[in-house]
Amino acid sequence: MNATIRPSTKIAYAVGGALLLVVLAQLIGQFELAGKSWPPLTEVLAYASSLTGASLIWRNLLVTLSAAAQGFVLGTAVAVIGATMALVVPLLRPGLDRFAAILNAVPTIALAPLLITTAGREGTPAVIAALSVGFVMFVSMTSGFANTSPAHQDLLTVFGSSRMRRLTLLELPRAVPAFFDGLALAAPAAILGATIGEWFGAPQGIGLLLVSAMQNYQMALMWSAALAATVVSLFAYLAFVQIQRMAVRRFA
Amino acid sequence: MTSALTLTAPIPATAQESQPRTAVSITGADKVFSLARGKKLQALEAVDLQIDEGEFVAIIGPSGCGKSTVLRLAAGLDTPTHGTVEIFGDTPRTLSAQHRLGVAFQEHALLPWASVRENIALPYKVAGRKVDDARVDGLIELVGLVGFEKARPKQLSGGMRQRVSIARALVLSPDLLLLDEPFGALDAVTRRKMNSELARIWAEERITTILVTHDVDEALILADRVIVMSGRPGRVRTSVDVDFARPRTGAHTRSPEFHTLVDELTALLDAPEGT
Repeated sequence: MNATIRPSTKIAYAVGGALLLVVLAQLIGQFELAGKSWPPLTEVLAYASSLTGASLIWRNLLVTLSAAAQGFVLGTAVAVIGATMALVVPLLRPGLDRFAAILNAVPTIALAPLLITTAGREGTPAVIAALSVGFVMFVSMTSGFANTSPAHQDLLTVFGSSRMRRLTLLELPRAVPAFFDGLALAAPAAILGATIGEWFGAPQGIGLLLVSAMQNYQMALMWSAALAATVVSLFAYLAFVQIQRMAVRRFA
Repeated sequence: MTSALTLTAPIPATAQESQPRTAVSITGADKVFSLARGKKLQALEAVDLQIDEGEFVAIIGPSGCGKSTVLRLAAGLDTPTHGTVEIFGDTPRTLSAQHRLGVAFQEHALLPWASVRENIALPYKVAGRKVDDARVDGLIELVGLVGFEKARPKQLSGGMRQRVSIARALVLSPDLLLLDEPFGALDAVTRRKMNSELARIWAEERITTILVTHDVDEALILADRVIVMSGRPGRVRTSVDVDFARPRTGAHTRSPEFHTLVDELTALLDAPEGT
């Protein structure tokens, strides 16, 4: 279906859809269709661009981004190592698969008390971000490793490859597109994870801003903070999608 | 399975000019694949195959006759259910661990992210040896890919990819070269061209070679000996010596003797079971 749509039409659809969403959000706020807690979009933007609003959001956004980045790196590193271990030592495979699935199935709320007592209030956002990132990356890398063709595997067997060389010459390069695929999905997950992690008593950050704005009924602030987190997530996603496309061109 | 470490293949001297060393010795090889729900498929039955050092042997047979399985046994990618496979008196696994096997498949199996040069140099990296640039350059020239060293596989035609794949198989000067329908996916014209190129390359390297193909002409252009297999379960039906002088040019392939042999072998492929 997509093949028949021209690029210009596609852009028109995207712009049209976004515009529709913006207008709808504005109208719902204007006429208070969803009550007073849904302010008009113009009011949110006015607050976000005011000096106090902008600096408040910016300061907290930086904290959240820093936690998200730490979690992103940590989660990615652990997941890549874990997936590689599962590949090289088949004995570990079922255990690691299940461990990742169980870890992902535990609600963050249930983990929060545990994390606060171990990682502390300031460390929790990064850890929750790492957990979200870790699962996505583990699944991506596992499927990337599974993607090697039997002919390539046979080739390395006949040429007498050691396990390590099979990994470095075939399996790791082969998994590069899957790695960046995972990163594109993991980047927004990291920001979301860090934000949620900040709900549990972090001293700063977008998550804290959201909670306190909600409790103090500062709707413009709450929506501005949410908007900022969304915009950053979206940009992170789009940036990694671009890198992923480059990786696919280079490695596939 | 550990094949018995007997003496180096005590083969009775066959009636040949000298006494060349036995390169490949497959004796009484059965291969049974276990399928789902306890079903079994017998791919090979009592396959005996002796190949001398420096010999070019083509295995032909109808599709599904197990000729690729024979090659996989020789490559150590499969082990026979019964029987033994010895290559230069050792197991195929030993040979590949010593990086003495070369292989090219129908699917070229080039690394898509690596250039022509890097693909040809891959066996050096697999073996953990320093890449011999002169050798790689020599092979690039030999297979006629000068100017394409930096190209990636997707930028090449099917024929060029197979040339890279063959150069890669040859780069470590293997003791045994295994070719599984390397030109199977090419059109007829390119295929003949690649046949004569392979004949030229082989004439320079003289490596013991097993070529699996379903193309009778290809087998006769390239091989010293053609093994005809029959299918289900795969058995060696007959072995035919090919005495045409090399290089085998168009004049040879157009000769009546060539055509007679083609017809003879084609008839063997078509004929029903029971010799």
